[in-house]
Amino acid sequence: MAFAKAQKTRAYYKRFQVKYKRRRDGKTDYRARIRLINQDKNKYNTPKYRFVVRFSNKDVVAQIIHSTIAGDHVMAAAYSHELSHYGLEVGHTNYAAAYCTGLLLARRVLKMLELDEEYQGNVEASGEDYSVEPAERRPFRALLDVGLVRTTTGNRVFGALKGALDGGLDIPHSEKRFAGFSKDSKQLDAEVHRKYLYGGHIASYMRSLQEDEPEKYQTHFSQYLKRGLGPDDIEAVYKKVHAAIRADPTAKKSDKPAQTQHKRYNPKRLTFDERRQKLIDRLKALNSAADEDDDDE
Amino acid sequence: MPAGHGLRSRTRDSFSRPFRKRGYIPLTTYLRTFKVGDYVDVKVNGAVHKGMPHKFYHGRTGRVWNVTKRAVGVEMNKQVGGRIIRKRIHVRIEHVIPSRCTEELRLRKKKNDELKAAAKARGEVISTKRQPEGPKPGFMVEGATLETVTPIPYDVTNDLKGGY
Repeated sequence: MAFAKAQKTRAYYKRFQVKYKRRRDGKTDYRARIRLINQDKNKYNTPKYRFVVRFSNKDVVAQIIHSTIAGDHVMAAAYSHELSHYGLEVGHTNYAAAYCTGLLLARRVLKMLELDEEYQGNVEASGEDYSVEPAERRPFRALLDVGLVRTTTGNRVFGALKGALDGGLDIPHSEKRFAGFSKDSKQLDAEVHRKYLYGGHIASYMRSLQEDEPEKYQTHFSQYLKRGLGPDDIEAVYKKVHAAIRADPTAKKSDKPAQTQHKRYNPKRLTFDERRQKLIDRLKALNSAADEDDDDE
Repeated sequence: MPAGHGLRSRTRDSFSRPFRKRGYIPLTTYLRTFKVGDYVDVKVNGAVHKGMPHKFYHGRTGRVWNVTKRAVGVEMNKQVGGRIIRKRIHVRIEHVIPSRCTEELRLRKKKNDELKAAAKARGEVISTKRQPEGPKPGFMVEGATLETVTPIPYDVTNDLKGGY
């Protein structure tokens, strides 16, 4: 091979400054985090709550967090896999499920703070912009923390935001990024937004697939079909979920006993002796294979 | 061309960030709270350009007299000419660290209070005053051998080095 000049010399490594751990992991945007956490100094120890929304491939996480020097403290959390307790078995990561998760979190927090009687929020999800009206006690204020998501119009993050707003939290927002906001008319079309909140976009896709590609419809929506959910049933399901959430938002304890031995996700590190033994075994195997070759020759 | 005495002149090293610690500053700085009367060290953080104090105050310690949204007011002494003036400046949070100058005093106060309470319970009177380190106690030197040294008479020939 031709001589290749080593790009990363010893000097490079000596001067290299690593980014923060969470930045290396690509999980935290510190620029945004500083601005979200920074509390006015003349408010001293008053906590500043963040309404954190994160999406994984199969789950939606909504949390209320406030930061301390010791670490972030999660006040309340809601996951979309909990929605199966409230009647939603499929479709845990769509816009409507994000709405439900936000709503669940909001009701949970308000119940925890005993504000749930005062701040019912928007009981009938109509899709139009709703802000909490201050009552006797001031409403619970939080700031939306999207993380590293690209905030485009119609993003599910804003579905969760709408859920929290309708649940009764005071989160400063604008309707610009809700699904159904038209850039041309600069207005939120409440009808379109309402359609999204009740899974209407999913229902219309189901209908179009049923007509055009029935086989794909069978594979894509297999879980829906297994439970007998057609395009017309979806809205009713979500309505029931909303009602169930408002009825009892408290978190349910799992029946499984707490695990003492946790499953390992990465290989265990070998000790020096184990590594040396591995090497010896490998060399022995190589030697015996070489001997066989010699014998064959 | 003359050197120039601008606001940040001669701060090349003192305002620069330490080796491999550039970029975003750790969030603890933003989470700290300051109360009026706290002692505070002023240490400029070159990464944040707003609310920087003048280079004179870098390394000084003062008391907080005001707390605003993103900054604290610190008062400290400055010698101007033949007198010392008490100066009040406003500095952003990032350039300020809580001072440990009173830490030793606070801990000692706490410990003394405990000792005094315990002594009172026992009915004794104790002094919690700090005593300066006294002279070392006397001791016997071990394993010493005596070597007597006497002067020898002066001899000219011995001293002349080289030639004569």
